[in-house]
Order: sequence, then structure tokens, then C-alpha cells
Amino acid sequence: MQREPTGFRDFPVQLMIRMSPPWVFIDEIRRFVESFCACACPGQDREAQVALAVHEMMQNAIPHAQGDEVELVLEVSREADCIAIRVTNRCGDADYEALRERVDRMNREADALAHYVAAMRENPSARGGLGLARVRFEAQLDISVRREAGRVIVEAAGPLRAPRLPAIGGVHV
Amino acid sequence: MSSPSFAARMPSLQVAEEKYSAYLGFDPQGVRVYFRGTISTLNPSSVLNPFVDAVHAHVLESGAKEVRVDFTGLEFCNSSGFKSFIYWIELIQKAPEEKRYKLRFVSSKERKWQKTSLLALSCYGVNLVTLDS
Repeated sequence: MQREPTGFRDFPVQLMIRMSPPWVFIDEIRRFVESFCACACPGQDREAQVALAVHEMMQNAIPHAQGDEVELVLEVSREADCIAIRVTNRCGDADYEALRERVDRMNREADALAHYVAAMRENPSARGGLGLARVRFEAQLDISVRREAGRVIVEAAGPLRAPRLPAIGGVHV
Repeated sequence: MSSPSFAARMPSLQVAEEKYSAYLGFDPQGVRVYFRGTISTLNPSSVLNPFVDAVHAHVLESGAKEVRVDFTGLEFCNSSGFKSFIYWIELIQKAPEEKRYKLRFVSSKERKWQKTSLLALSCYGVNLVTLDS
């Protein structure tokens, strides 16, 4: 039987990717993150959700990065039962304020599914506006945003062992 | 002169981009729309919405009451692409009641994102969206 490396279970595992320009590689990043997660937290069934979250967060960051690099940090801690994704990019004042307002509004709605469905209704024909709501509900991660030295940091974090998603009629998936 | 057969109009009912494609086909169960590949471009709705418009017009004309939307070959769809399915539901909701039809999504168990994304879509399109796997 294959043994895990000593200490692997006890310490956080961190993945960092810094890319410029990253758009053409976004599918490769998602696939790599999915594989990475499957190895870093085996048996948690979290890899597809985390890969989706990384894709959406990178997709949000790239158009606003003004050609500058985008940094992705993924931390997995089995001991602390937590997973965190951080995406950092350059960001102007107006873009940051708009993003912060959107995240604040999202977090004021306690029901992630209700907010996600409301976001779908807002303007189906407009581009964007759905990614973070999707991450919050589908990946079951809490979203926060902050700014440091002219760069915006969007973080999605939550438990490694995510509860099953609620669905219509009390069914869970 | 009779109108052109459906087969003659088939080419307008498909789209193909570098990483994904979509087309309308038929199977014994009726109309089936296939999505293949990875929808991950910045603005896929510019390609997908006109395709959805064409499929919607065809379904209204045919009088079909259900369309199977086949995701089994769809590796991934970003939120921008997902909005084309929201747009599709909006089109059905705007149609006269007697013309409305249902979308039955056929998903792959191996692609786990589909389960949660389609769950959310079914909450948006209540009574119009059903899920198969």
C-alpha cells in the first residue's frame, strides 16, 4: 500500500501561479487545479467545485488586470478543514469600488442560491455579473474582497468538507 | 412551392468555435441539442445566443413540447456561457403559453459541475427545466 509523504496530512498545501497574459491558459489552469485538488484533498469530492471557482475568479480578474500579471494562490489544509483561493490583480479605483459594492450586496443575502437566482434575473443579456454568485453557491465558498497597494485581492474560502447543497423540495445533491 | 425541408436548413442550426460546438439533431425521443467541448471564452453569448434564437424559432415552428439539451460532451461552461441558457429560458417564458416547451438537460455524472449548475438553472426556470443524468 502506498503511504502518504510524512506530514502531508498535518500541514497546509499551497499552490501559487502567477501569469501574464493568462487568458489563453485558463482551461489548462482549471484542469490543473482540479487534478491538484484531487491529490491534495483525496476523498473530499471538492476538486470540481474548486476548479470552477478558480476559473470564474481568474476570468473576472483578467479583463481588469490592465495587461498586468494575475496571481492565483490556492491553500488546502486538511488539518484545519479549510480551503482558500486568492486571486490578485491590478485594479483601478472605480473597478474596485464597483466590485466591493457587488460583493457586499451579495453577502447581505444570506441565501446563496436566492442571490444566485436573483443575479440570473438581473440582466440575462448583459455580459458578466454571475461568476462570484456562482462560486458562492456552487463551490460553497464565502467571498471577500480587499485592496492592497493598488491591487485587488478576491478571496473565496470555506470548509474542505462542504455540506451537501440544498435543492428544491428539500432534496440535497 | 413548398418550404425548404428541415434538413436543408440544418447548417444554420449549428455553431463551431475553436473549443466548443453546438448543433441541433434528432433522436427517437425528439429534438435534441448537443453542446460539446469547453465554453470558456470571454463572451460566448455572441456566438451562442444567435444559435439559441435559431433553435428556439425552429422548436416553436415544429410545435415540440420538449427539447433535450445534451451536456454529456460538454467539459465545462463558464458563467458567461451559462447566461445563454438563462437567455434561452427567457425566450421560452416570453413565448405564448401554448407554444412554450420544456428543456430537459441530459448531464454527465463524471462532470460534477453540471449537477450544481443545472440545479441552479432549474431553480431559475421552474416548470421549464428538468434534469436527467
